Amino acid sequence: MATQAAAASFNGNLKKAVAGIKRINLDGLRWRVFDAKGQVLGRLASQISTVLQAKDKPTYCPNRDDGDICIVLNAKDIGITGRKLTDKYVGHLKERSLKDQMAKDPTEVIRKAVWRMLPTNNLRDDRDRKLRIFEGNEHPFGDKPLEPFVMPPRTVREMRPRARRALIRAQKKAELAENGGTEVKKGKKRTPSQVTA
Amino acid sequence: MTRIKRGYIARRRRTKLRLFASSFQGAHSRLMRERTMTQQRIRALVSARRDKKKRKRDFRRLWITRINAVIHETEVFYSYNRFIHNLYKKQLLLNRKILAQIALLNRSCLYTISNEIKK
Repeated sequence: MATQAAAASFNGNLKKAVAGIKRINLDGLRWRVFDAKGQVLGRLASQISTVLQAKDKPTYCPNRDDGDICIVLNAKDIGITGRKLTDKYVGHLKERSLKDQMAKDPTEVIRKAVWRMLPTNNLRDDRDRKLRIFEGNEHPFGDKPLEPFVMPPRTVREMRPRARRALIRAQKKAELAENGGTEVKKGKKRTPSQVTA
Repeated sequence: MTRIKRGYIARRRRTKLRLFASSFQGAHSRLMRERTMTQQRIRALVSARRDKKKRKRDFRRLWITRINAVIHETEVFYSYNRFIHNLYKKQLLLNRKILAQIALLNRSCLYTISNEIKK
């Protein structure tokens, strides 16, 4: 009643997909909110699949589906490294590059990624049902009455090697003007040191 | 040669089989003449023997996963393997079963243990 009014005001086309299939889960579970903005696709998907399998709980049981309900926001702002945006194909028979897929339905990208990371079980469907992905920043579950608490999104690990590499790259760009610095590159193949402006 | 009737020997054997397979599903608990029951009984016994050994492995896997789950929440880059390494360094003889139980029931205790070990 109240939920449906709120959900309807949120986004008309998603209302059915959101609130309908929900009856089958237990509700002692936490609702975890992942913000996909700027996170790398695969790494985020692997975290989500860990949470969905309840592998971060000490009561993990492989024959029971105990995972928390995961809500993913900002699906369209997910990050892809490398040139996968144009070169990666989602689904291999039907060829649709990642960029087109993102334009069409960005939630499918994450959903497929997580789906393939879950163990191929009879529980896989149930786990997938606990995953809700939204493109934008709002979701209708804020108004849902049965919400124990919204766990703050999982802290992104400090990617220290990555940050160091990024720092080195930034420093390199700064030093390119002066043409100095023979720093040891940490294996970034795409920017060869001969490229100068 | 004296005449020997077989008597109740076969019947006894078959009752035993029937009792064993009485909880099987469908035809596997009914068909004695078509040998289904015998075959299913053999498979059941084979699985039982094999899984007695697998059980020890399965439980250890379960304990490891559970310990890993809790250890990941201690710190950012901490995980089960480092925890066990530290355990061995300090020569602490707790086994994984106990650790998993501690993780389940008394999580703060596990945090204490891991902090002590890290030093």
